[in-house]
Amino acid sequence: MKVGLFVTCLVDLSRPGIGFAALKLLEGAGCEVVVPEAQTCCGQPGYNSGGREIAKALARKVLAEFRDCDYVVAPSGSCSGQMKVATVHDLFQGEPDLPEFEKLAAKWYELSQFLVEVLKVERVPGKFAGTVTYHDSCSGLRELGVKMQPRYLLQMAGASIAEMDGAERCCGFGGTFSIKLGEISTRMCENKCESIRATRAGAIVGGDLGCLLNIEGRLRRTGDKDTKVLHFAQVIAGEE
Amino acid sequence: MGARENILARIRKAQGRAGAAPTEAEMAAVREAIARHEVGPQPPFAHAPDRLAQFAKECDRTGTTLATVASERDVPAEVARYLAANGLERSLAGWGAFAGLDWAGAGIAFHNRPAAADDRTGLTGCFCAIAETGTVLLLSSPAAPKVTALLPETHVCVVRKERLLDTMEDSFALLRREVGDPPRAVFYVSGPSRTADIEQTIVIGAHGPYRVHVILI
Amino acid sequence: MQIQSMFFKKRASEKLDDAILQGNMKRAKGKFVDGRAKAVAEFGVWEEVRTHAAKVRDRALANLDAYLVEFERNAVRRGAVVHWAEDAEEACAIIAGIAAKNGVRKVTKSKSMVSEEVNLNERLEAAGVQVVETDLGEYILQLAHEPPSHIVAPAVHKSKEQVAELFVRAHGKPRLTEIPAMTREAREALRDHFLTADMGISGSNFVIAETGTTLTVTNEGNADMVTTLPRIHVVITGIEKVIGTLEDFATLIRLLPRSAIGQSITNYLTLTTGVKMPGDTDGPEQMHIVLVDAGRTKLVGSDLQEMLRCIRCGACMNHCPVYQNVGGHAYGWVYPGPMGSILTPVYVGLENAGDLPNAATFCGECAVACPVKIPLPDLMRKLREQQFDRKLRPWSERMVIAAWGFTATRPALYALLSRIGARVARWMGGSEGLIHWLPGIDGWTKGRDMPAPSGRTFREMYRQKRSGASHGR
Repeated sequence: MKVGLFVTCLVDLSRPGIGFAALKLLEGAGCEVVVPEAQTCCGQPGYNSGGREIAKALARKVLAEFRDCDYVVAPSGSCSGQMKVATVHDLFQGEPDLPEFEKLAAKWYELSQFLVEVLKVERVPGKFAGTVTYHDSCSGLRELGVKMQPRYLLQMAGASIAEMDGAERCCGFGGTFSIKLGEISTRMCENKCESIRATRAGAIVGGDLGCLLNIEGRLRRTGDKDTKVLHFAQVIAGEE
Repeated sequence: MGARENILARIRKAQGRAGAAPTEAEMAAVREAIARHEVGPQPPFAHAPDRLAQFAKECDRTGTTLATVASERDVPAEVARYLAANGLERSLAGWGAFAGLDWAGAGIAFHNRPAAADDRTGLTGCFCAIAETGTVLLLSSPAAPKVTALLPETHVCVVRKERLLDTMEDSFALLRREVGDPPRAVFYVSGPSRTADIEQTIVIGAHGPYRVHVILI
Repeated sequence: MQIQSMFFKKRASEKLDDAILQGNMKRAKGKFVDGRAKAVAEFGVWEEVRTHAAKVRDRALANLDAYLVEFERNAVRRGAVVHWAEDAEEACAIIAGIAAKNGVRKVTKSKSMVSEEVNLNERLEAAGVQVVETDLGEYILQLAHEPPSHIVAPAVHKSKEQVAELFVRAHGKPRLTEIPAMTREAREALRDHFLTADMGISGSNFVIAETGTTLTVTNEGNADMVTTLPRIHVVITGIEKVIGTLEDFATLIRLLPRSAIGQSITNYLTLTTGVKMPGDTDGPEQMHIVLVDAGRTKLVGSDLQEMLRCIRCGACMNHCPVYQNVGGHAYGWVYPGPMGSILTPVYVGLENAGDLPNAATFCGECAVACPVKIPLPDLMRKLREQQFDRKLRPWSERMVIAAWGFTATRPALYALLSRIGARVARWMGGSEGLIHWLPGIDGWTKGRDMPAPSGRTFREMYRQKRSGASHGR
């Protein structure tokens, strides 16, 4: 089974460890993983900023790079939403390459969904003894239905989960929103951090690096140097 | 051209239809769609096996109190009991349909007229009641002034059990069958008037009645 | 209402620092969101009814002209006069004209957002007509000379202490501390107005083509006073409110109060059709229905037409994390929250709407909550596309997107720049690995650190690892 790993631009730039954790998980489960080296970004920042043509150009680029794979997996609900939902429901509606994107969408998976629903993994390499709280990122949750899968995997690694109040509420990241409307974004993030603090969990775990950087940035700014901020892939791969 | 023509023409142009006004064929199609009176999906509890229990449950939720009497003759005694229990004066303005009951015998001054602003209690009947939502439905007519259900602080409504329906759609079907066109006011009352406009705190008795009491016959 | 939407960012910033408002918003959020969730959970067939409701709305909107003509025919048959208004000015002129012709001196009003759109009160008052808002929230705001901040709970931004202060000034009575007493005092103050008004003005949540019916949905009963007691009843509503049948209304009304406030039904639903009938002891002698366009036909047939399905329940704003934090006034016009971020740009012009289409993280909560399945984030994105295409966003922002697009489609260049960027940012992050301030993204770094990259990109590490592995073989 040939699985293409879409690393995501944020992971590539900022937290390569998450990419390697995903690689380890997929290879550990017996997949032949390919990482197209020319990959850059799914196009969502352009899409959500009104740059529709830029988004389409990048979507076509992604399509070309992963056409040969049996599956494509990304450690992000947001980028996966872009490639599974935005392309087929909006960007390429009524265009000749729609069938190609439908095929891509059908074989594209967010990492936790792929591990649980396709590979049906029953053990993970990571061992995590502490308590974590899980933030549901919006796109993964509402566009793709990512909810129980990462929790199931975290528990497999031995983590216990303390649910925060409003786990499904947006952390305020929203891509360029976090910069354009920074004050509102910061307040939303502070609300999220309040919920996180109230759980007293040692780590806040999520499935989208954008949200995690946002949350980490606010926690650190408000003096919290201890709470770990982790992608679930790092925890379950034992690479935290 | 006037506003009407301009607006209609803009709509048609935007939706790719020629001409400045709907054609006869388009109007006929719309009337045909309307005449189907398609009923949408309804929640399971709208067709409860025990319609009366469903009605009682919803009345309880909206704050309507409920009493049952055996026949219309028993209404004055129940009204007297209710007024006494709530410390209300034994006087009311009521619909003419109830004028012939023995109010004096129950110690109540019955005024056969539409309620005025200073009447404390209004007595009405209803066209039907709806179990799904605990609602009574009043149709305005010369014999059924709406103000009697609206101005007094207490509204007592007499409902005949056979007029208790499942849903609002059922009430529309009954309306078409028995009346035809809706009258000026089709008035659905589900509990006493309330507001939550200050700090989202629910307060009973905003502009309409503080109390709604349904007497089921 | 004066348009202030171009100042969204600045006003939002003020609202974030307003401690009273923050407290009021926090309280409201819990009640609205939890109330709706509970009502939806016990309903059983929410999705089915939602789907049907969207269909019902689309059916009328797809043939909007014919449905309006059918509505008009039936309303006229019942003695109503139907007026059409292309814009705010025309709507106000029609109603002021009705008032003048009939010697109207006092008007009672039940809540109508369309009347807020067209500044009706100002216009009538300028003509010497006393206008009394009778919805408790609207009444409070009329005393405060403020616009509503929410379409269902207009005074949601006010605390009871603020209301008490307004009542002391307006009623000249001792200060009250309890909400029921305040409600009682307002009831008494408004009763006399109900009984003495010459004209009642209401909105209409829907208008029903089949019967020529307009309708009101309230808990207070104020709309019933307004539509029953005065000798003239004027309805002001938007042309998009038309639906086919009474059955369609039954579907929509299962969704509206549940979505708005978590109630299965409001205490009063009143269908008003035509004038009072021969022998009726109450009801108006004249009924006028003003159908207002004021921008709505710009949505018809456009890729934003789904917005016209809106039933004004307010669930989108109640569930919006941006609205929850900044309140309705920040949005600067009649409709706040996600619905406003679409309606305001269309009704008052994209160039006057500033940041509104961008005032969302696209978290999607509004689309999930919407009872008629309006894809609100998708529609906001379409407006962002219009802003982008019409060059309405700042030059710097457009340049960044263009530059990023240029780079991201050129893998070699992208690889080079991302390697440099990762290293520079790593260096900037210092030993803590945190960047405290970065020009260009100070919107982020003002309230948050930027966690610095670890220094090398995934792809260069992956390439190295692969070549290392093959060398070792």
